[in-house]
Amino acid sequence: MTPPRASAAMDRTYRRMLWPASLAVGIFAIAPLLGMLALSFTDFHLVRGWSGKIGIHNFLRLFEDRRFVSSIYIMMALSAFGVLAQVVLGTAIAVGLDKIVGKWRVARGIFVVPFAVPHVAVALIWLSLFTPTLSPINAVFAVFGIEVPALLTTQTGAITAIVIADTWATYPFVMLIVLAALQGISPDLDEAAALDGATRVKAFFRITLPLLYPTLLMVALFRFIETLKHFPLIFVMTSGGPGRATQATNYYAYVQTFQNSNVAYGASIAVFLFLFAAAISFYIAKANARLSDA
Amino acid sequence: MIKVTRRALTATLLLGSTVLAPMLAPGAAAAQAREVNVLLFSMPSTRGLAALADDFEAETGIKANIDVVGQDVFESRITLSFTGGARDIDVVHTPVIQVQRWVEAGWLEPMTAQIDGLDDKDDILTGPLEAYKVSGDYYGMPFFAETGLMAYRKDLLDAAGVGVPETWDEMLEVANAVDSDDTAAIAMRVAPGQGFNMFVFPMIMRAYGGKFFANYPDDMTPAINSPENLQALNTYITLMNDYGPQGIGNFNFPEVVAALQNGQAAMTVDGTSIVSQAVDPAASKFADQFVLALPPGGPAGRSPAIAVHGLGIPAGTENADAAFEFVKWATSTETLSKLAINEAYPDFTRASVAENPEVQAKYAGVQENFLDLRVEALNLALGHYRPLIPTWPEIGAAIGENVNAAVNGLMSPEEALEAAEDEMKSILAY
Repeated sequence: MTPPRASAAMDRTYRRMLWPASLAVGIFAIAPLLGMLALSFTDFHLVRGWSGKIGIHNFLRLFEDRRFVSSIYIMMALSAFGVLAQVVLGTAIAVGLDKIVGKWRVARGIFVVPFAVPHVAVALIWLSLFTPTLSPINAVFAVFGIEVPALLTTQTGAITAIVIADTWATYPFVMLIVLAALQGISPDLDEAAALDGATRVKAFFRITLPLLYPTLLMVALFRFIETLKHFPLIFVMTSGGPGRATQATNYYAYVQTFQNSNVAYGASIAVFLFLFAAAISFYIAKANARLSDA
Repeated sequence: MIKVTRRALTATLLLGSTVLAPMLAPGAAAAQAREVNVLLFSMPSTRGLAALADDFEAETGIKANIDVVGQDVFESRITLSFTGGARDIDVVHTPVIQVQRWVEAGWLEPMTAQIDGLDDKDDILTGPLEAYKVSGDYYGMPFFAETGLMAYRKDLLDAAGVGVPETWDEMLEVANAVDSDDTAAIAMRVAPGQGFNMFVFPMIMRAYGGKFFANYPDDMTPAINSPENLQALNTYITLMNDYGPQGIGNFNFPEVVAALQNGQAAMTVDGTSIVSQAVDPAASKFADQFVLALPPGGPAGRSPAIAVHGLGIPAGTENADAAFEFVKWATSTETLSKLAINEAYPDFTRASVAENPEVQAKYAGVQENFLDLRVEALNLALGHYRPLIPTWPEIGAAIGENVNAAVNGLMSPEEALEAAEDEMKSILAY
């Protein structure tokens, strides 16, 4: 069914409704983005200013910069493990909540709570949980004579800690979207599967999960882009340490821009991050479109 | 069509202006009325200063709009304001660590004539004031000078039968004797950063005779990979890893303070604002047992840390006179005395404040000789404890990250100092 054709006057009204948003996006997103792009081709330095040099020197420097290259690995580890953990946990909880009716439905509200906590507060909560001298976890295990290792002093541990904190704070996002998608799946399908003798586990993996696939892909994409922008958790929990082991790319852009005053170089890192996120989004959106068409 | 578009545009702009108006208002108003916009970052003394803003208005008729923000917000706010030429700040919090960089960038107004014109200039502590001198001109007035002290649990040292460590070598022995399963011997900051581990580590470095540069400020050849610095780093690593609490490799000052107050660590060496929290009866379970002393020394003597904060006037402000009025008031004996009485603020920068009986009584409560100890440490402290050069924030971070990596076993101490040396060279050459 095609939607009824709007009149020309209606068409104009709709276009006008886009004005405020377009203006806001133009002023607050596109313009700074172009500014950053322009900056990334200069050698502007906060203290030394700009020598007039224009070129792609910053982008050439990126791939000779070991700190930048290692920041990409760190970012990818944080993103890959983070998104995986959030999607699995969020989906599991959504599937559980979906079947719960009656007064226990209040659980839905409770599970959303971490999503409302600001990231800096999330970071402070988990920093104390992962600091052995402050952590109730360590205190409880100490009663049984077990020493819980200090996560934040090794690279693997610190990355794990950030992934845990990030997952705790953002699984509700995955959960909410998957829950909405689940409500759109007809219960008839489950009933039909049950009649045909499928177990509930089998029905989930063979019927529900494939139907959720486009939703999961989309939600994973959203989370992926968000995880590329990791900053507050790193800033508060590890200061980029131990050593530089948790300086992900976005954090490194901050270090270069604000701490080292290399504004132009920082901008080139940010441009790289933007292009990287855009390319991945584009690829996944295309994959998603193929999937929806099929 | 055009008419409609214009109307839509006007509506949008109107909507926009109502949102923007409150943001622009203080700056716009300051131009005509007697007002100063002050931007500070949050510390007990700056929060205390903001609380006294009405006193300033009562005395001078100038209204001070004091904005106290977090340190991270502060950095980006001033960077945008100064590089954008916004001129929306008349007085700015100026850490001495940043002053060289800001002056080189042309962000600060010199205040030499005004400072030299003060009747009571001699009362200002010389070290902190001179730290604001860049090529012959003053670019700030100090209001905060913190130095380094040691805090130790007298009960635990007595029980172990050891005396107070006078040197870092002695500290190794004392730590070995005091360390137990219940209480780690020592907790210090290890988290990487020029204001974190690089605030405390140079106390060990300099005690062993280590330096950042061959001969500051005449010969600025990096000298971080010297045998003295290696010895200092090895001492730091042993103290932290063998005698520090679990997880010390990521400790910053809040974790250090908590470990002292909860009886998880017997000693620390840190800034006065940190060590004084160990002896604060309201917060520390072991306030009665902790004693404050000078930090340990070494073959090259003692070198207590020093951190100085001051007030500067951004270049191009239209309110320079009112701005200096504010600076003068904020750093006056009267205001600093009020702050010392109202807040946990033994870090005043005028000698006369220590003569105030109320101030004396308050800080005798911390420890009988606390104010004297502070002055003694300040006198021992090097003005260039952290080198006063524009690239220090970058160099300090680079060294701090490598030092942290060494403490956490990501690289050997030799590799860490070698890497720091290479990075210093490339930063200076760039």
